[in-house]
Amino acid sequence: MNAAMDTVTGVTQQESRPGELARLLERAAGADKAALKSIYESTSAKLYGICLRLLQDEAEAQDVLQEVYLSVWRKAASFDASRSSPITWLATIARNRSIDRLRARRIPAEGLEAATDTPDNGPSSFDVLETKEDISRLRRCLEELESRARTAIRSAFLDGATYPQLAEREGVPLPTMKSWIRRGLLKLRGCLEQ
Amino acid sequence: MSDDSSTPETEAGEFALGLLTGDEQRLARERLVADPEFAHEVARWRGRLAPLISQADAIEPPPGLWDRIETQLVPQRAANDNAVSLQRRLFIWKSFAGGMTAIAACLALLLAFEPRTRWIQVVHEPAQVVSAPMVAMLESQGSMKVVASWDPAARQLVLAVPGDMAIDPDHSNELWVIPAGGKPKSLGTMPESKQMHMQLADALAILLQQGATIAISVEPRGGSPTGAPTGPVIASGALTRA
Repeated sequence: MNAAMDTVTGVTQQESRPGELARLLERAAGADKAALKSIYESTSAKLYGICLRLLQDEAEAQDVLQEVYLSVWRKAASFDASRSSPITWLATIARNRSIDRLRARRIPAEGLEAATDTPDNGPSSFDVLETKEDISRLRRCLEELESRARTAIRSAFLDGATYPQLAEREGVPLPTMKSWIRRGLLKLRGCLEQ
Repeated sequence: MSDDSSTPETEAGEFALGLLTGDEQRLARERLVADPEFAHEVARWRGRLAPLISQADAIEPPPGLWDRIETQLVPQRAANDNAVSLQRRLFIWKSFAGGMTAIAACLALLLAFEPRTRWIQVVHEPAQVVSAPMVAMLESQGSMKVVASWDPAARQLVLAVPGDMAIDPDHSNELWVIPAGGKPKSLGTMPESKQMHMQLADALAILLQQGATIAISVEPRGGSPTGAPTGPVIASGALTRA
């Protein structure tokens, strides 16, 4: 899939300057506001894209983006370059915050507890060191999945879609969607761990 | 098909992807806390899937967003006790354009309640005369939690949090205005910072009249799902002329 390859190549370009971003994060951890501003200038478009894609609402995406950088300011010292790349760390915070906001919206149907969903684990979430090899392996392994499983997994990750939403979107019963994704996940894991 | 049923591995992947809802989601969350191996598997899935994040297109945020962020930057805890930190703190206060009357009033009140705070040093800032600013002292069981100052002319609401207002990662503090005899109306969730500076829309600004109550409640992360307070009120106070 060309589109998928292109976007994954986009990651690789980001990865070509992890040293610079990691240095900026280090400076931000030392309360250097100019460093945070540089981080904002080089990453805000990417992170805003993530927030906007998940939230589909500009005002909310801007609020969340603001929270993300305030969170980065507070937590820059906890970034560990040996555990994840800076852009992935930043993007994960953006995704988790957006998902939280998305879930908070859905509460009436799901009960209050559903709001306390995504722990903002930050870097400790990454037990896998992300390298260019990991990125290209993920791309290759996703390509090996059935297209319906690949589409559903991508949509869950990038659009915040839940099982009931995916089943409705595809017009299939919930157990069918679960079965597609579970098989996809097992196959993906098998492929990634080869 | 035997591989259709849920296994610990698939459940961890489903949870990491955010697919689960209702009881399934609740059970997975409980498991995340109780079962370290499950938590580790969830972390592994997050690591495996992380590169997917970059497939969202980059979109430039509107200009001015950085300025909004910058006004909310407070010194990190580690740097609290040095001169650089103090200068930064002063800079944050000085960087508010306009609304200085309200801020000065609010800081003067802080002086009364928090004699040890270093913010008092800004009280000497020259203050412009602005029409009828108001202040609300948000208290809980006699201890002052937040000072809210409202500048109707500029429609600017400034909140200062002199002490600690702890909030766990699963919840947000949400700010409300309750007009005399009316229903609470949300002013949004509060950032976890020592101060907050917001410009209110006309529809909300009109509610901030003398006698209205400003309150803070604990809500699910991201704010009340219902549009009305659902959690405990941790501080409240009436708006009065500054």
